[in-house]
Amino acid sequence: MKLHAFLVTMYLLTKSEDWALTNTSTPIIEFKNISLSYDDNEVLKNIDLELEAGKFYTLLGPSGSGKTTILNLISGQLTATHGNILFEGNVINDVPVEKRNMNTVFQDYGLFPNMNVYDNVAFGPSIKGMNKATIKTKVTEMLDLVKLSQFADREINELSGGQRQRVAIARALANDPEILLLDEPLSALDYKLRKDMQSELREIQQRLGITFVFVTHDQEEALAMSDWIFVMNDGVIQQNGSPEDIYDEPINHFVADFIGESNILDGIMKADYLVHFVGKDFENVDAGMRPNERVEVVLRPEDLDLTTVDQAKLIVTIEDQSFRGDYYEITAIDDDGNEWQVQATNKATVGSRLGLTFDPEDIHIMRFNESEDDFDARLESYDDDAAE
Amino acid sequence: MYKKIKWSYLYLLFVFILLYLPIFFLVVYSFNAGDVMQGWDGFSLKHYNELFADTRILEIIVNTFLIALLSSLLATVIGTAGALYIYNQTNALTKNIFLSLNNILLVSPDVIIGASFLILFTVVGFSLGFVSVLLAHIAFSIPIVVLMVLPRLQEMNQSLVIAAKDLGAGNWQMLSRVILPVISPGILAGFFMALTYSLDDFAVTFFVTGNGFSTLSVEIYSRARQGVSLEINALSAMMFLVSLALVFIYYVISTRFAKSKKRGTRLVLPASEGL
Repeated sequence: MKLHAFLVTMYLLTKSEDWALTNTSTPIIEFKNISLSYDDNEVLKNIDLELEAGKFYTLLGPSGSGKTTILNLISGQLTATHGNILFEGNVINDVPVEKRNMNTVFQDYGLFPNMNVYDNVAFGPSIKGMNKATIKTKVTEMLDLVKLSQFADREINELSGGQRQRVAIARALANDPEILLLDEPLSALDYKLRKDMQSELREIQQRLGITFVFVTHDQEEALAMSDWIFVMNDGVIQQNGSPEDIYDEPINHFVADFIGESNILDGIMKADYLVHFVGKDFENVDAGMRPNERVEVVLRPEDLDLTTVDQAKLIVTIEDQSFRGDYYEITAIDDDGNEWQVQATNKATVGSRLGLTFDPEDIHIMRFNESEDDFDARLESYDDDAAE
Repeated sequence: MYKKIKWSYLYLLFVFILLYLPIFFLVVYSFNAGDVMQGWDGFSLKHYNELFADTRILEIIVNTFLIALLSSLLATVIGTAGALYIYNQTNALTKNIFLSLNNILLVSPDVIIGASFLILFTVVGFSLGFVSVLLAHIAFSIPIVVLMVLPRLQEMNQSLVIAAKDLGAGNWQMLSRVILPVISPGILAGFFMALTYSLDDFAVTFFVTGNGFSTLSVEIYSRARQGVSLEINALSAMMFLVSLALVFIYYVISTRFAKSKKRGTRLVLPASEGL
């Protein structure tokens, strides 16, 4: 009986602790209206963002989009022109790099060529003034984590690119940072190695439970690794959300084009659940727009199916096809001259006329100049409709 | 193809013979039993015996090496600090001004530097001797060290500095544990360069040595004026041996550096002028 009561109490305690954690935890990093300009060149424009502790975040965008600038603002290498950066609720605008409890894995690794692997990893702890035994335990633990235990005595220039990458990660983690910042760390690795490192980084993040902020221009990488993605362009966060959200529901032309392959067409929302494009009306699942509002329509290549002409929603001529291993990438032209990208499992004959078909829910509608908040609210209303 | 290689070898051989023949001639005659450099009177070590009996020469040798070591050490410290300062200058104008000031000193004739030091010391009322020579040597060695160290800094990966900061290092730790070790080959080359410049300097030293104090090059010059004694040959031969030793030491140290880092880039041997 007593035991039972104890268990119940413990259960309630853990429950309440959970509750307390989810409700009172402040974001580990918060940007409040951050802008950064060099002379007249505005690199970041009024950025607001919040990062929760323990998640894997990705800043995704083309070069010059401002993603690395955000990373450097978090690490303290750059100072914002205006706005506040908060770490666990405290403003850290003026805290210098070396005093922030976060570490960076650099694009070119920045490993010290005058030290071997062990000394590189031991650099942070020894700066902190730890004793030799503690440092040794720490370094061993970190080298184990990145599977380089055998390489402690190696010189840096004796290592391959992938091994250097691992040393850089171990060195950054040896300082027990609360946030690990990764600046396009995988861009110098070959395809296979990059794939391996992606899953390994994800594994390390989950094992340690600390926050990762990962910068990349590779959308595939971002989708594969992240809990949450910020898509950047022109110094503005275009969209943020889970990888699924961003892929399935891109907010605008840029995101739809940048993440994955897309067929983007001009269209008109004639009424709720009815969209007009390529000269035809199609049933869809979007609603709540002005009648006859001009919109953009997104159809993902993998959502399109090739079919016979009589079953088609749209008739196309096959222009080109290339084999991609697990599918054929087909380029087709419809009668209005629009180009369509299709991913098909079966081979098609170039020059033949075939039908295209897709489901109403495969049609994704993007409004022009819709804010992220409005966009999220609109999508949420669809979910409510669906629930009703 | 074969013939071409042979010709180029012959040419190379010719150049080296031309370069080393005078030194060889000088060394050989230092062992001559006669007292002039004409006619071989048989092998003898008598000029070396004379040399080692000459306490003034021995004192001058000690002075010369003391000046060389001290001046190159101090110049290395000051020059490295100067190179770091120039490297860290973000303002392009100040950077260029400092670089130009450095390079002007490097190319300006020794005679002018020597004369200007003489004028300076006289105006200030500084007595000429060991200290004046030391100061002058430090002064002309600093630009050499800057010239050797600065390229190392510029080719150093900038992200090393950022990484050190990122890992919590303060300025001093960053300097002592990352920057200085990385540029150490440049510092070493600068030191050896300054050492050889100081050892064989004649023009500047000639102006700023007072009565009584002398270095080897000045002494050899003044003795040669009074008529060539083969004792000078013996002295020169020994100096040549010392410079060989210096080259050897430099090689050993630099290959040890290269080995411990395997950076692939062998240090550039400073253009050591004949002593």
